[in-house]
Amino acid sequence: MRKNLFRIAVFVAVVGLVLSACGPKVVPATETAAPGSPEPTETAAPGSPEPTEKKIITIAWTQEPNSLNRSYSSMWYMSTLIQIYSCSPWQFDENNEPYPYMVTELPTVSDDGLVVTMHLRDDLVWSDGTPLTSEDFVFTYDMITNPANSVDSVYPYDKFTVSVPDAQTVVMNFTEVFTPWMATLWSGTIMPKHILQPVFDSEGTIDTAEWNLAPTVGCGPFNFTTWESGSYMQFDRNENYWGTLAKLDSVIFQFVPDDAAQTAACLAGDADVCCWPPYEDIPAFRDAGLTVATEPSGYTEGWFFNLREMASPGIRDLNVRKAIAMALDRESNTDLRMNVVKVTETFWDALPAYVDPSITPWPYDLEAARQLLEQSGWIDRDGDGIREDANGNKLTITQGNTNKTERQNYQALAQQQLLAVGIDLQTFSYESNLFFDSFSAGGPAATGTLDIMEWSDVPAFPDPDSSYWLCDQLPSDENPYGLNYFVCDETLDALFKEQVNTVDPAVRAEIFHQITKYMHDNVYYLGIWDDGDVWIVNPRLTGYKFSGVTPFFNIMEWDVIP
Amino acid sequence: MFRYVVRRLLQAIPLLLIISIVIFALLQGSGDPLATLGGRRTVRPEERERLARILGLDKPIYIQYVYWLVGNDWVKIDVDNDGIPETAGTRKGILRGDFGTSLVTRGEPAIDIILERLPNTLILMIPAEIFILMTALAIGIYSAMRQYSWIDQAVTAGSFIGYSMPIFFIALASMYLFAVNFRKWGLPYLPTVGMFDPKVGKTFSQVVIHLVLPIFSMSVVSISGWSRYVRSQMLEVTSQDYIRTAYAKGLSERKVLVRHALKNAAIPMVTLLGIEIPFLLGGAVVTETIFGWPGMGRLFFDHLTRSDTPVVMGILMLISFAVVICQLITDIVYGWLDPRIRYD
Repeated sequence: MRKNLFRIAVFVAVVGLVLSACGPKVVPATETAAPGSPEPTETAAPGSPEPTEKKIITIAWTQEPNSLNRSYSSMWYMSTLIQIYSCSPWQFDENNEPYPYMVTELPTVSDDGLVVTMHLRDDLVWSDGTPLTSEDFVFTYDMITNPANSVDSVYPYDKFTVSVPDAQTVVMNFTEVFTPWMATLWSGTIMPKHILQPVFDSEGTIDTAEWNLAPTVGCGPFNFTTWESGSYMQFDRNENYWGTLAKLDSVIFQFVPDDAAQTAACLAGDADVCCWPPYEDIPAFRDAGLTVATEPSGYTEGWFFNLREMASPGIRDLNVRKAIAMALDRESNTDLRMNVVKVTETFWDALPAYVDPSITPWPYDLEAARQLLEQSGWIDRDGDGIREDANGNKLTITQGNTNKTERQNYQALAQQQLLAVGIDLQTFSYESNLFFDSFSAGGPAATGTLDIMEWSDVPAFPDPDSSYWLCDQLPSDENPYGLNYFVCDETLDALFKEQVNTVDPAVRAEIFHQITKYMHDNVYYLGIWDDGDVWIVNPRLTGYKFSGVTPFFNIMEWDVIP
Repeated sequence: MFRYVVRRLLQAIPLLLIISIVIFALLQGSGDPLATLGGRRTVRPEERERLARILGLDKPIYIQYVYWLVGNDWVKIDVDNDGIPETAGTRKGILRGDFGTSLVTRGEPAIDIILERLPNTLILMIPAEIFILMTALAIGIYSAMRQYSWIDQAVTAGSFIGYSMPIFFIALASMYLFAVNFRKWGLPYLPTVGMFDPKVGKTFSQVVIHLVLPIFSMSVVSISGWSRYVRSQMLEVTSQDYIRTAYAKGLSERKVLVRHALKNAAIPMVTLLGIEIPFLLGGAVVTETIFGWPGMGRLFFDHLTRSDTPVVMGILMLISFAVVICQLITDIVYGWLDPRIRYD
């Protein structure tokens, strides 16, 4: 009898718990009322102000940052999130144009291009009320360049020295002209000297500073409050913010690693903003009344051609590369991406001022492709559909990428299209960390195992600089982390070195016209599609704009419809 | 029994040492943690070398293993690359409880990262395992006792279907049905992702409601497999002579099942359970990834893909230790279940 009573009691308790947890979320009394009934209001104590619902938004974030100190992380998911709680001398608007943010005007550059001067606003304060001055810039510079701190990269802070004539002036003295400074410096990296100097003094490094993982003192429109590992981060409005106070009370970044789950979270309204969803989900978002906002970010998905000595004879044949460019129907690929993207041609298509206007896209022309191949002696001698050279060597090209679904889908498409002109495309997919592994670790891209490598990349957007094709970046045993997996071309190398030291913007643009034309005519790179940012936004969110460089530049203007 | 336990624990020491060597060696093939550290920023060779020196990655593998095992506070490191080791090491090694610091979240102790996620994994896996076992037992026993009935046939068909379905399909389908579509249709709905709603906070009811879909997804496949196993064990045991004797003595079906049949059928199930329980610590990678559950499975996968050896080694050694202990407990439980088994 007692056993039965106990069992019944346990059963009732369990059912009660489950039922109490189930059901729709509790809706505050101030939300929708039944038709015809008076607007319900929350009861307030007499004389006290009406309590209002907090304005909180949730942003689904696919990757969790590894640090909240910009100098210790290269992740996009971190460098974007940092705009919420940190600040930069300048930001970039929805047209990717720079505008002054912490500075009174955009920095001035001396005629020789070696001195860049910034004048800070005199009302800058950290969230704890401490004034933010040029000393914080000097401290940041010292910490980044100090070998005791294991920051990700010192570049480009090792290209200049800093002097501070007064509390509101920062002068950067470059040893040689460095034109990409606006795109590469000070973006979310400012560290609070009054917080971190004591840490450095006592430990000799800021590697283990709590602030790196919990930056409770910041200078952005929001303050860091919570980081629950694997779950979410929360930022609350910075009431001490020196700029326009944010309209939102809080911003939550919820970590949702799976693309399909992110889509579900946005469709269900559990997340107000999602980014980079799978293209095939875009119709579902539109049907659900969500806004699909795209923003050029400079990223382009493209094929990088390996012309080093270990590459196949086929890929080192210019006619073969031209034939590949003309045998791919790149327009059909944009249809697959719900027409959210467009075909690109060069690595710099997002910066049209730097692209030679005389460049015409490679046409989709199978007949012309076949003729080029025959000109070079690639003929299908045995009738198996694959061309061979005079010695009977097959025209086999290896192509590899990371194992993202859309890339693997494109591989299958490309394989079919190239087979139509007699090119055998053998495709490979790798985990990202293995694909980009170093030369000494045998990374396929670094060691030249592949003739063609595909990924999405960007120059120093919105600056056009890139070091990918510099000869001193070729990976080797002596330089295992070199980034030039492609070709050492003396002409191209000289042009890239010239542009980075050119002060006159018009002359620099002209150099890039030469670069883009040269690379296009030699098919060193083939654009597939522009890989801009795609944001999915819940209609309750208003006032938002996105930038391709600093996406959350106007987050203080974001608001929610009550 | 005491001597047996002590003997097993002593045997575990060299076993765990060998396991750690094998795992450490295998992890060297997971990629270079410095390869993508700079992102698309130019990182000079001397910067990579500096980072490698600071993080101890420039040493030969066997030295890295020794430092992981016993620490490096007894040697000096050449941080500034002038050829003179000047900086004392700070690591104590896992034998002194120092799991090292993460290569991904530089500066954060690996053990802190692991312990932050471990409770979340236990919150997910323990209720899931209890639910799976209780349901599988109930279904398996009922199915065995009503062999070839229509319920048994339906359960069998359902088991085959459930066992064949990939878990990610079940997870996403249940998410879209119960979270997205139910909400669209105005029905009571479940949340899509996460362990709780950050806007509400980490309350008991929030965690419970967020557990429903992940546990359901994991259970479908596991219950299908376990129920078949329970059914076959019960059928084997109930065909034995002593069961017939028990019935002949006039015992009720319930008493025969619980006191005689289930106890004997449980022996091989205890073996399986003993193997499964330590892996609860490893979480469920697919389920945690899809539902955004902040557990050990996701932690392991995230850090493995970034070649974060200290964290990955910490997780694997924890699981290895748990396997050794659970195997010992399993053997002891055998002795309780089957009086014929004695240890000395």
